[in-house]
Amino acid sequence: MALVLQTLLNIAEPLNLLALMIGVIGGMIVGAIPGMTVTMAVALSVPFTISMGPTPSLLLLLGIYCAGTYGGSISAILLNAPGTPANAATVFDGYELAKQGKAYKALLMAIIASVYGGLFSALVLIVVASGLAEVALRFGPAEIAMLVVFSLTVVGVLSGESMAKGLLAAAIGMGMATVGTDPMVGTPRFTFGIFDLYDGFAYIPLLIGLFALNEMFVQAEGAFRTGGAILPLKGADPEGNRVTGEDLRRSLVPMIRSGFLGVFIGILPGLGSAIATFLGYAETKRASKEPERFGKGAIEGVAASEAANNAVTGGALVPLLALSIPGDGVTAIMLGAFLIQGVTPGPLIFIRNPEIVDTVYLGVIAANVMMGVVALFALKPMTAVLKVPKVVLYPVVLMICVAGSYAIRNNLFDVFVMLGAGVLGYGLRLFSVPVPPLLIAFILTRPLEESMRQALVSSEGDPLVFLSSPISTAFALLAVAAVLYTGWRARRGRPLPTE
Amino acid sequence: MSTLRVLFSAAALIATLIVGAADASAWEPKQPISIVVGFSPGGGTDIIARHIASTAQPTIPVPIVVLNKAGASGAIAAETVKNAKPDGYTMFVAGGSESVSIGNHRKLPYDVRKDFTGILQITRQRVFLTVKADARWKTLADMVAEAKANPGKLSFASAGAGSSYHSIMLVLQKLAAVEMKHLPYQGGAPAVAALLGGHVDVSPHNPEETQAMYDAGRVRYLAVASDTRSPILPDVPTLREAGYDIYIENIKGLAGPAGMPQDVVAYLHDKFKAAMESDTFKRLAAQANLELQYRGGKDYMDAMVAMFNQIGKVVSPQ
Repeated sequence: MALVLQTLLNIAEPLNLLALMIGVIGGMIVGAIPGMTVTMAVALSVPFTISMGPTPSLLLLLGIYCAGTYGGSISAILLNAPGTPANAATVFDGYELAKQGKAYKALLMAIIASVYGGLFSALVLIVVASGLAEVALRFGPAEIAMLVVFSLTVVGVLSGESMAKGLLAAAIGMGMATVGTDPMVGTPRFTFGIFDLYDGFAYIPLLIGLFALNEMFVQAEGAFRTGGAILPLKGADPEGNRVTGEDLRRSLVPMIRSGFLGVFIGILPGLGSAIATFLGYAETKRASKEPERFGKGAIEGVAASEAANNAVTGGALVPLLALSIPGDGVTAIMLGAFLIQGVTPGPLIFIRNPEIVDTVYLGVIAANVMMGVVALFALKPMTAVLKVPKVVLYPVVLMICVAGSYAIRNNLFDVFVMLGAGVLGYGLRLFSVPVPPLLIAFILTRPLEESMRQALVSSEGDPLVFLSSPISTAFALLAVAAVLYTGWRARRGRPLPTE
Repeated sequence: MSTLRVLFSAAALIATLIVGAADASAWEPKQPISIVVGFSPGGGTDIIARHIASTAQPTIPVPIVVLNKAGASGAIAAETVKNAKPDGYTMFVAGGSESVSIGNHRKLPYDVRKDFTGILQITRQRVFLTVKADARWKTLADMVAEAKANPGKLSFASAGAGSSYHSIMLVLQKLAAVEMKHLPYQGGAPAVAALLGGHVDVSPHNPEETQAMYDAGRVRYLAVASDTRSPILPDVPTLREAGYDIYIENIKGLAGPAGMPQDVVAYLHDKFKAAMESDTFKRLAAQANLELQYRGGKDYMDAMVAMFNQIGKVVSPQ
């Protein structure tokens, strides 16, 4: 207890708070710029931490991590351009709300949900870190495969009016994900000798193209139709632009559900926050009594996806602290930052460096609180971006899209992927084929293929491996139940519509 | 006589030094130098590049730029450098899977045996065959014996199909005449998780990946794929001691395109070697858990090609 108090006082020192604030503000900005990733921001900050003590360096990095994961929602809501892959599902309802003149409301709900998700995950981290890490280790290839199969059933939820079109979109997404090096034997597939395709299509350029660029095409189309003037977004609606008690009531259960989902996905190495966000969003829609509101500005859609992605942060720190296994790119770099401070995360850190553990625990809490405070001051001014005339705004956004796609790997090829994805997204919209199933299928296909084939290699081809443990069997049954449930709802004449 | 000899030797030495110095000063960079890194910022390779660049920067009159071109396990960076002009302004951090391993597994747009000029080696990263602490084998021989008795039953994880880690296990299987199942993962961290979770029997890892688990007594090392034992873990025998002639590890250093003029190579080599030997770099390297190993440009290139050929005897590109 004395140590906790001392850690708290340590964090509250002005210089440490300053480091945290710099991290939070920097993280929010980086997160909000499509193509600038949180991983990149953390990586570029690590050299600065070499000469700092452990407390300010950890606070700086945790600030970037938490706020960066939130920051992507800002551009998702305001510009239809998710700043990071983790905010892709925020676009569905967030941008709709912005178009209805309720941008402030969406932004406010996003920060509430993000802070909740972050704090909840910190709580989980503090209470059960080491125990949960051991549970995560029991997820072998078969368990992961069945978890991913279950996750794929959300395609049914995200499909919208026509299940056939949803499945078509998912098939396109899966097809695109098969491009690149075969994960098991390393043979290039569908690369046509293009070396830049060896890793497959990069996810971020795809995301930018499918959402941000696509939206610009749509706006341009509108401008042509109306004879030059670009359609203005609805002016801010002072009545509808508040977060009401009703909104909070609607969002409460989705936030709690997403919190659990986010932490769970975060703890499993290698799945990542994008999957958590989609699951949080889709499960909320699946459970909703009015699924038809989703995709048209349902506030709980924003809450669900933002709570999920920030809940991943605390979850991903669990295997890092307890097992020294980083679950994603950001925690991998944080591991390096720990080592620079002479601290090795792992089972012994709780004995050797309890003060560092406490700093991480309290640091995550402090980062989320700081993030909330900073956002409250910044939200109003941020909505000013919507007042910028579209003829000025869109060229700037387009430039950011191009620069961001290039910056991911310093590779011009990714810019063409982004442009191609924009055309694809526009084409899909013309035939009202929904984009969300494409994206979720794209994200899930590689982990699905990898884990299924790993499981089959270790079982020497016996498919019963997928039912060989209670965990994998449970997810397999959940997947079957989800499909039956969707079918049952459809037969009752209440399909799960989207857009 | 002997005095005369000493004098002559000294004169010869001085002459060499002067010529050497003259040679080195024959070329001076006029535009920024790029070090291309085939991995994302923050990774181990990126850290080596950034530390050596920042340490050498004060001695080089033009900016040194670290450029991350991640992709295809580092091979995109190698391709970029292969296609660059051999003028000394573009090099990459070589010596990983992209240099010594992947080319044996699949067709690459470059050939490590002829497309690069070595400048110098900076670090080495050993690969340990890692098992869970409660594994039933005390030694590598125990494990090989079991693998022989039960072909295709034991399994190993790797940080990716075609990586050096994968190749080490392939070469070992060939030399030991055993057969094991391969479960490739996306990088070292998930492979560690698979090992700890008991989903694979053995996994090749760099010591820093499993350091915490080793300290906590949850993993053991059966062997190391190096030419000598590690000074930090002197009890772990090498694969050579166990009778398998395998020496494959990450030997990170700098290499440029083939055909770089000798004076350019000498300039870069001398500057970066001086940086590598400075206290600043040694301190940074210690913080980042890097084990330093110097090789001159030609020796470095030879070492990479030797590792490449060890794997090539067992694996042929598809």
